[in-house]
Amino acid sequence: MPIVNEGLEKEMVHIAKPFEAQHIRDLFEEADPLMQEIAYALIRGDNNEVDSLTSDALEKGFTANTVMDDGLIAGMAIVGIKFRDNIIFVPEVLISARAMKAGMAHIEPILSESDIPPVGEVIMGTVKGDLHDIGKNLCIMMLRGAGFIVHDLGVDTKPEEFIDAVMDHGAGVLGMSALLTTTMPNMGRVIQAFEDEGIREDVKILVGGAPVTQEFAEDMGADGYGKDAIECVDMAKELIAAKNS
Amino acid sequence: MVFVETMTSRERVLNALTGKPVDRPPVANPTNVATVELMDMVDAPFPDANRDPELNARLAATGYTELGFDSIMPYFSIIQESSALGCEMQWEQKDNWPTVRMYNPIWKGIGDIKIPSGFLEHKDNIAITRSISILKEEFGDEVAIIGKTMGPWTLAYHVFGVEMFLLMSIDDPKMTMECLHKLKEISVLFGQAQIDAGADALTFPDHATGDLVSGEYYKRFLLELHQEMAEVLEVPLILHICGNTLDRMDYIAQNNMAAFHFDSMNDPQKAMDIVDGRIALIGNINNPVTLYSKGPEDVRAEVYRCMDAGVNMIAPECAIPLATKLENLLEIPNAVKSWMEEHSLETN
Repeated sequence: MPIVNEGLEKEMVHIAKPFEAQHIRDLFEEADPLMQEIAYALIRGDNNEVDSLTSDALEKGFTANTVMDDGLIAGMAIVGIKFRDNIIFVPEVLISARAMKAGMAHIEPILSESDIPPVGEVIMGTVKGDLHDIGKNLCIMMLRGAGFIVHDLGVDTKPEEFIDAVMDHGAGVLGMSALLTTTMPNMGRVIQAFEDEGIREDVKILVGGAPVTQEFAEDMGADGYGKDAIECVDMAKELIAAKNS
Repeated sequence: MVFVETMTSRERVLNALTGKPVDRPPVANPTNVATVELMDMVDAPFPDANRDPELNARLAATGYTELGFDSIMPYFSIIQESSALGCEMQWEQKDNWPTVRMYNPIWKGIGDIKIPSGFLEHKDNIAITRSISILKEEFGDEVAIIGKTMGPWTLAYHVFGVEMFLLMSIDDPKMTMECLHKLKEISVLFGQAQIDAGADALTFPDHATGDLVSGEYYKRFLLELHQEMAEVLEVPLILHICGNTLDRMDYIAQNNMAAFHFDSMNDPQKAMDIVDGRIALIGNINNPVTLYSKGPEDVRAEVYRCMDAGVNMIAPECAIPLATKLENLLEIPNAVKSWMEEHSLETN
């Protein structure tokens, strides 16, 4: 079914890359119009509307995965592209994330009772000395939406806490975030700590954060860099695939 | 031809900030240049150097005495007045920056905003104002003493938490504006106290960064407020915003402040073209990659890039990583002088 929700159709003008626009249209092609309503409410950041529409959809018999994939995540994909392309900024993303959370409150209890295997397991944390967590939390939300199990170590995380978490959970990917140029070097210290313990090869390390660049990530010895939450998910999938190959 | 300096560091900085001629662009850091090596050199380590005026002044002075910068910045971090407001603090150790635990905010809304009695006499504010007095007495004629007072946007992050404040800006823009106007009283109070103590200029960090909010946000919430600050605080003000700011630099150029301290994410030539002489630019040597991880040759290349673009004052882009090597910081003034010598040759 083509996009019938007028508001959602108007949102499509923000998707400049043809292959992305086609991908998003394809997401909605096979979905019920109710999913378009959910997606559009999420893009607007209307958490009350997302809450009630998600609840309605589940009552009508749509599966939790359908509502999550075709409604919430499809809407968040548009939000992510608008954020990446500087059409919207963090406050607008935050209200959409709040709306996503309202929807996921209905979805997560159902999914946790199902036996669908996770895509992978990820440890996430902001490095020592840095107490910023908005970017990290957006990544976690998108990773969970993409089917990952994520263990959130919070902020101000010491190297040994990252090591313990990776060892305890046997996670394939470690994600580190930093917002400050003054704390970014602590990413290198964590990577060095994994090397010192002789377990660097046991985990793929992904870094990100506003001032972090590809060049810096490579200098620190990371396996991957994600510029934003969408890239974080893509890179986590790549790293899991590389680790399992 | 050998380049000959004809001005004191203080004259150079104050002229650059007021649009007057200079013998060469000053080297400054409106955020700070404290490093672990400098702490060891003068036995003034973090966190104590943030809280004790004598230690603070001793460490701050090294920016001039050891590095050869043209200014001294005694306020190393961005958290002193937030500590005095009652925010939960993490003072950290020698090798980490002190910070506010913004995940435990102290206030929820406009009704909570109250400046505690004795705010200016709080230990962590006194550390800065007394340090400025000490530095002024010792170096007052030679070098510019720059103070720092947080803008209301940055204070809002500290007292409300970043996420809650940004959500408030969407949910209730009117209340957000009212909060900013109440918080600006703190900026003025602490800024004026530093001016009274002898500060020649004030850095005004107000982190409406392109990594968080749009350029239109700057115009909508902060432009008029910054214009008001430029009028009320009667020394040159240096706005500091990290991250991408090209999209708001035209607005920033209209805020009537003396200068804008900008980040390495912004191309210096593009930045100079946008501001077009309406505000001085200070920056923008990259910290985490160039100053922290690379060597003097790379530092020199970035300094030359700024000098070629006509950046008014040369500086690291922001607070530097505490493990930054001194040889890289020393290269900044060296490179400025080399550039001057090379270009004196060209014109003679």
